[in-house]
Amino acid sequence: MSSMTTKESTPVRAGAAAVPYGHAIVSEKWRGSELVQQLQGKIKLVFEENLGLVDFHLPNRICVLYISETDLVSGNGFKRRLVRFRNASNLHGIVITEKTRLSEQYFPPIQKFIVLELGMTLLPVASQSEASQLIIQLVREQSKEHESNPFLRKRRSHLMETSVLQTVQQIPGVGKVKALQLLQQFPNIYQLSNASIQQLELVVGRVLAQQIYTFLTQAK
Amino acid sequence: SKICLKEKLPVCILVDSREISSGPEVISLLKTVHSVKVEVCSLGACDYIVSNRLAVERKSLLELANSTNRNKLIEQIQHLQSMFERICVVLEKDRVKAGDTSRIFHRTKYYDSMLSSMVSAGIRILFSSSQEDTAGLLKELALAEHRKNAGILVPTEVTGHKREVLRFYLSIPHVSYVTALNLCHHFDSVKQMANSSVSDISTRAQVSHKKAEEIYSYMHYVFESQILA
Repeated sequence: MSSMTTKESTPVRAGAAAVPYGHAIVSEKWRGSELVQQLQGKIKLVFEENLGLVDFHLPNRICVLYISETDLVSGNGFKRRLVRFRNASNLHGIVITEKTRLSEQYFPPIQKFIVLELGMTLLPVASQSEASQLIIQLVREQSKEHESNPFLRKRRSHLMETSVLQTVQQIPGVGKVKALQLLQQFPNIYQLSNASIQQLELVVGRVLAQQIYTFLTQAK
Repeated sequence: SKICLKEKLPVCILVDSREISSGPEVISLLKTVHSVKVEVCSLGACDYIVSNRLAVERKSLLELANSTNRNKLIEQIQHLQSMFERICVVLEKDRVKAGDTSRIFHRTKYYDSMLSSMVSAGIRILFSSSQEDTAGLLKELALAEHRKNAGILVPTEVTGHKREVLRFYLSIPHVSYVTALNLCHHFDSVKQMANSSVSDISTRAQVSHKKAEEIYSYMHYVFESQILA
């Protein structure tokens, strides 16, 4: 499962951008592993040779690259694999890594490299068993309706009138009553900002008009 | 040349005042070990702002793993999404006292599904083992943003008339603290901002074209008092 076994000629399997929902394309080298045994029955698996640098292709252009405890401990060989993946494709690469008692000291620099330098996603697991649970959730997430991901849902918009009223009330000396009076005369902040002292005086009186005018026009 | 740039412009991070009690080590290490210019202010929505577009939320692993926090967390992140182009969540390992088994992190389906949702939405996730580790990550994030010309370059302290103007800009919906600071320093007056084009707002406030359009339409939004009645 190390980078040594991947074929140099095929960094990423062609056409893997369209994996059906609920499915995963699994590299043949994973057949029989604990990870794959726990995936079976939960998601549909298709085994293939020559996935190149990738271990699992998931729906929505997600590729999982697995870095085992052994990979982590035995040096920086896996870095080359990640860089090659990054250069060869614009698919979303998720690196799943075994962060164990033995490998945890290697985690911080690797996180810096993968997330901050390569801009990929890194998710640590303690074992192949945890990795299988995570992959199941990643696949299920992609099958869901867009709207059911709370972080992709559009927020409902609030009442603009309330906001505008509050913004005008940030002008020193202007409370709710004065803000409403001003907005009746100058119906947006743009017009209010361009009002002359004389125009303002007609609404709020001389002292406050001067104060508002200064606030809106005063340079640094 | 990078070293030169760093010397001239120290990396700056805005920190929410609540972090003084919840992450004191993070703040002091940022200042002492990482020589970051730290400005503590009332950010309200988020824990750290490390650039003109990136907000960082510091969360404990146990907090994320506990499904009773779900709604609060979602609301918080959605709020950040309305203000920032990029969001990063730093998941920090909890300090567990000897013998306290109730606070040991157990990986659950819920935890994995939350991670999956965040990853799908393009939210960056970093794992930290301690406050010390978190401080280092924040510095790295700020440095990376600096290199991409998104660093915070305006003065972060505001006084007098500027304070009032800052509060005015902060009341614009979905405008972050750092955007308000940029508006405050890069426009001579509110009037000048109100008379600016979308592209001018985008350049001076250091925001995306879409966000600049939002600000522009807000300045031109016609208020109808009957709606509030």
